[in-house]
Amino acid sequence: MTDTTIDTAPPEAPLPSPVRWVRDNLFSSVSNTVQTVAFTAVLLGLLRWVLGLVFADESNWVSVATNMRLLFTYNYPAEQFVRIWFAAGVLFVAVGASFAAWNINPSITLRRIGVSLMGTGGITLVVALITPSATPSGLRTAMWVLGVALVVIAAVVLRVIPEPHRRRVPFLGLLIGVSAIVCAIMWFVPFGDYGFSEGEPTAADGIVASSTRVPWTVLFIIMIATYVAGRGLAQVVSLAPLRRAMIAWWVIGPAFIVFMVLRDPEFDWAHIWSTDLPMAAGFALGGGALIYLLAAPGRSDLARVLGAIVAAAAVFNWVAAFFGWYPMLQKARFSFALAAIAILLVPNFAGERSARLRVAAVWAGFMVVFHWLLTGINTASTLDITAPPFLGGFVLTVSIAYYVMLASFPLGVLLSLARTSKLPIFRVLSTTYIEVVRGVPLITVLFFFSIMLPLFLPSGMGISDLAAVFAGYTVFSAAYMAENIRGGLQSVRRGQYEAADALGLTTVQRTSLIVLPQALRVSIPNLVGQAIATFKETSLIAIVGGFDLLRIANSTIPNQPDFLGQKRPALLFISLVYFVVAYTMSRASRNLENRLQAGQAR
Amino acid sequence: MSIADNALTDEMASRDDMIVCRGVKKWFGDFQALRGVDVTVKDREVMVVLGPSGSGKSTLIRCINRLEVHQEGDIIVDGVELTNDLRNIEKIRSEVGMVFQQFNLFPHLTVLDNITLAPIWVRKKPKAEAEAKAMELLERVGIPEQAAKFPGQLSGGQQQRVAIARSLAMEPRIMLFDEPTSALDPEMISEVLDVMKDLARGGMTMMVVTHEMGFAREVADRLVFMESGDVVEVGTPEHFFTNPQEERTKLFLSQIL
Amino acid sequence: MTLTTTDPNSARARHARPPLWRNTAVLKWFVQIIVLLAVLAAFWFFAAQARNNLSAKGIPVSYDWLDDPANIQLGEGIQTVDDPDGRRLTMSRALWVGMVNTLRIASIGIIAATAIGVVVGIARLSNNWLARKVSSIYVETLRNIPVLVQIILWLAILGSLGKLTVDSGPIPGWVIVSQKGISIPRVFFADGFYQFLSMLAVFAVPIWWVRRRMRRTQEEQGGTQRIGSVTFALSLVAVVIAWFANPVMAFLGPVFDGISDAWAVIPQGLMQAVLSIVAVLAAVTWIRRFLDSRRTPAGLAKLIDDDWFRMIFAGIAALLAVFVVVRGWPGLSSWIINSGSDLFGVIGDKFGDGRGSRPLDAMKPTLSEGRFVNYGPTGLTMTVFYASLFFGLVFYTSSFIAEIVRGGIQAVPAGQSEAAAALGLNRRQALRKVVLPQAFRVIMPPLGNQYLNITKNTSLGIAVGFSEIVQVGQTVYNKNSQTLAVFSIYMIFFLACSLTISFVVNTINRRLAIVER
Repeated sequence: MTDTTIDTAPPEAPLPSPVRWVRDNLFSSVSNTVQTVAFTAVLLGLLRWVLGLVFADESNWVSVATNMRLLFTYNYPAEQFVRIWFAAGVLFVAVGASFAAWNINPSITLRRIGVSLMGTGGITLVVALITPSATPSGLRTAMWVLGVALVVIAAVVLRVIPEPHRRRVPFLGLLIGVSAIVCAIMWFVPFGDYGFSEGEPTAADGIVASSTRVPWTVLFIIMIATYVAGRGLAQVVSLAPLRRAMIAWWVIGPAFIVFMVLRDPEFDWAHIWSTDLPMAAGFALGGGALIYLLAAPGRSDLARVLGAIVAAAAVFNWVAAFFGWYPMLQKARFSFALAAIAILLVPNFAGERSARLRVAAVWAGFMVVFHWLLTGINTASTLDITAPPFLGGFVLTVSIAYYVMLASFPLGVLLSLARTSKLPIFRVLSTTYIEVVRGVPLITVLFFFSIMLPLFLPSGMGISDLAAVFAGYTVFSAAYMAENIRGGLQSVRRGQYEAADALGLTTVQRTSLIVLPQALRVSIPNLVGQAIATFKETSLIAIVGGFDLLRIANSTIPNQPDFLGQKRPALLFISLVYFVVAYTMSRASRNLENRLQAGQAR
Repeated sequence: MSIADNALTDEMASRDDMIVCRGVKKWFGDFQALRGVDVTVKDREVMVVLGPSGSGKSTLIRCINRLEVHQEGDIIVDGVELTNDLRNIEKIRSEVGMVFQQFNLFPHLTVLDNITLAPIWVRKKPKAEAEAKAMELLERVGIPEQAAKFPGQLSGGQQQRVAIARSLAMEPRIMLFDEPTSALDPEMISEVLDVMKDLARGGMTMMVVTHEMGFAREVADRLVFMESGDVVEVGTPEHFFTNPQEERTKLFLSQIL
Repeated sequence: MTLTTTDPNSARARHARPPLWRNTAVLKWFVQIIVLLAVLAAFWFFAAQARNNLSAKGIPVSYDWLDDPANIQLGEGIQTVDDPDGRRLTMSRALWVGMVNTLRIASIGIIAATAIGVVVGIARLSNNWLARKVSSIYVETLRNIPVLVQIILWLAILGSLGKLTVDSGPIPGWVIVSQKGISIPRVFFADGFYQFLSMLAVFAVPIWWVRRRMRRTQEEQGGTQRIGSVTFALSLVAVVIAWFANPVMAFLGPVFDGISDAWAVIPQGLMQAVLSIVAVLAAVTWIRRFLDSRRTPAGLAKLIDDDWFRMIFAGIAALLAVFVVVRGWPGLSSWIINSGSDLFGVIGDKFGDGRGSRPLDAMKPTLSEGRFVNYGPTGLTMTVFYASLFFGLVFYTSSFIAEIVRGGIQAVPAGQSEAAAALGLNRRQALRKVVLPQAFRVIMPPLGNQYLNITKNTSLGIAVGFSEIVQVGQTVYNKNSQTLAVFSIYMIFFLACSLTISFVVNTINRRLAIVER
């Protein structure tokens, strides 16, 4: 809190005196006083009840402390943890770079920091006062000390430093401060080392293991360094390319991490040289060249004819697969279909040489990533994973949520476009889909996919349990996504469509250049809301057989011989994990909403 | 039949007709918006369409670039008949510029991007060329310094001038104006009308729906008066403002002047 | 006057038909039909695969198993095993029990969540700082933890309560709280209830008539008639009379039985004919209305290709419906006949001789052999499974409802309450007459969504072993492998629920909109 600056933004009104504040906010009238009394009783009652759950004699928190690794990464082999740290490092770099790229630097006044410190300190003191007798005495003392310390610091910030409402802590300061506090907790707070001797947990006053705290500290430093570097870069060059790179990274990066870093495919290099590489190169270069040629002005009819031919070939490929006429790799079939779509769309994106080159390059890049990922996913893993499910715990929860959002997004866009379309059959199909899916509970959809999907596939084709569940989530999420985007589409005024038509844009151009950019911007807050919902819904994996946070807390840990029946501590712990993630996202979304509204008013 | 009408009938057969409407009928549900409209606009002619609100003026010019689809009759624009033919629609849309009452600029694009969008994506022009042209047009409408701003940052009159520049960027042979000044504050009307007068002087074929009688008197070659979906009277400005033939025209002009 | 000209010299042919591949009207429908065919083909493909795969396993899809004995024991519900009255627990009955359980917990949950949500939502707008903080902590905590985690946490918490005895709980003997569940005294419908209800319905007519007359008098003569008090007094008298005189209505029993018998003899052919006629009439009416909407004073407007396609599709849909009724699924009409007859039969059973005169009765919780009594007159018992699902759903949903209520009230512009204050209304009047009616319109649609969510989320009962429809269905298909059939039942049930809820919400919304004008 050393690097404060007197800011130029309009200052906040100064704080009233504590006595005045209490009178205005708690005892301003009879009804107000009654409310104060009633809600004090409610608050103390609830707090006491929750503390009773946390610190009850029968709650063995060692079950959580010991199983921390299980909860977060499940059965990931310990000797391979460097992969996890690498993946996390990549993620932190991306976070820091994204903060820099979008110039996210909310600064906070000292007064707000003081007020929140005061609140935290106050609550800590209340907790210390009413916590039940089962609370370890050391912890109780720590609460008292922490509470008093926070209140004192807050008082200093609010009363001793002049004009706290005008001094702002810049974002970098916040970042460093928060990171420093987290690291300090890891380095100095004695959580205890837990081990077992003859089934009895033994605790020593140890701090977090250095195999955990060192990497985390390094990660925080990396994130801050990336942010600083990014801000420095922004002084010199334009940020637009960095933003584009970051968007591309957030789309493909997580897939890269999971399937290339955490799972390290065991490539059959002979097959790669003989088949995979030529195929990918063929589609990327051949398709790219074709697209480059067809993107010249005046070749739209040719593109349509060729597109129709390739589309027919793509359909024929699947018919052939159905009757087993000739073998072909599934990814080649998909590539043909994608090529057909690309060729049919090319006339919309035709233009001068550089535009044509760009379209061709986008195609080639897409094909490379597509083939590379599919090859990686489809290949055995070198990683020695003992348990059958490769992902588990928090990592599974987060990655399922991320991929579901990613996969259901294009589907949702298509569905919402179909639902708002003027073409009745599209509208009816899309509406039916959306309403049916939204009408049934998620759990039935998941059951349906995990049980029925294998039955729907032709003989000889299989699908892993997790993939089936993932498909179910995607199908379910897409319907909600479509409704969120539809809201945005309806906010685009009719005049925008008419202006685009009057300029001679095609339907595809109108949709992609005019309508969707505006609609999506409006839907962002709703989409974040849906991301939060999806994140929470991943807990249903526990019912259909995945080892997510909930399943581990509710059945894996209570079945360990050392912690038989110990459900409550782990469940409370994962509630906290879910809360922290979901609450952070919702706060971020609210800030984003305010930023967007400010942008609209521009 | 008046003398003016007879003269018109003869002219309609001529070769330099840019817009020909013959017996155009249009229904919205059970409401008939156009009841068989016959209008011809010649090359380099400025035609002003007058009429009370709900008389079908806007519907008529929106039919001409197929924002609305007419149900009976023919519309022939620059020798191309408006039918379901995809190619004809594409051709006409890129040859007919349109300016709307509500500007309808794209709020998520800068002024420059608004103007270069269609030349790049529809005309397939190189970006540099399109931008040079756009700057030239912004000079012409008098606001080159606003190129990097977003539409929301401009005043109404500036937005409408950008909208005109956006249409002109497609190098249209015909410009349609649908009440271009109705949504503007009074002090901004003249700046838009000046741009339009400039265009007319430059020989653009224009069809303008407006209530600005001064503009009609000064710039129009001919005026059309419409009421409840019918063309009531066609004539030169002199004819209209000094000696209207039809009772309904007289009534309308007496209310508006 | 219109200018009538033709242009004989023009070389441009009139109405030159563009070639098919450039005709937008044709292309539009071509693309749509191609996509429709692709979707149907995909459906057909998957259905064929499923049929083959299931046949290969020897479990073809059918619904014949619905009448099989279930041989499963349900956790709770209206009938959990073959009951003493000799009713067998068939598969269909087990599913029915599950549906009733779902609806029971959903409806009570909706009421409870709304009550809590409204209180918390209003507290978030209180002028008291503590009220605002406590309610916002409530909302933020509950809505950011997954509902399933909350449900399971409740199960863990309730499961660690004390053992079940009559004395466990805050009021020994009356309120029991234990690890087996929660039980309170229950008021239940006794034998005379339906007779009582029908008698009340009979009395409602004269009361309504009196009320209308008084209102008319008030409108004509001014002044205040005590309409409210009179209605209340009369209703009270009606309730007292009906309470004691309800055996009079016993004659309704035979009447309903008669209707039931009459319904049962409707021939299947007749029902099929009626259904077919309804389908065809619906299509004809639709086409008629559609044409009407295209009609103008000058005759029928010119129909565009879209209009023709639409009418043809309506016709095809009707023919398809007729085919389904007559050939595809003749069971439908006999099912309607049977269930109609059953319905009236069941109603008839509620009336008749030998019914006790008391419409309502009450009972304390009772235990037998250390468990709650499942049947008959006993307390109102929530098993621990029911309770954990209920608490989880209610608290989770109430946090969303609180936000909806808050948002709805905040959505009413401040100018409205200022205007009300300027007119001299006090705070409460302004809230009741000005703010809340407007807020209600904003609140209603998302509230309906939350009600739907509660109903759907009851399916999470499967995680705690509460016998709702999804859990029962899973037990059923684990026994007989009729997955597809059970899933179709799920789908129909939940779609029916969601349609009902959205119908109710839409109706309320429409009424509010009219009231507003």
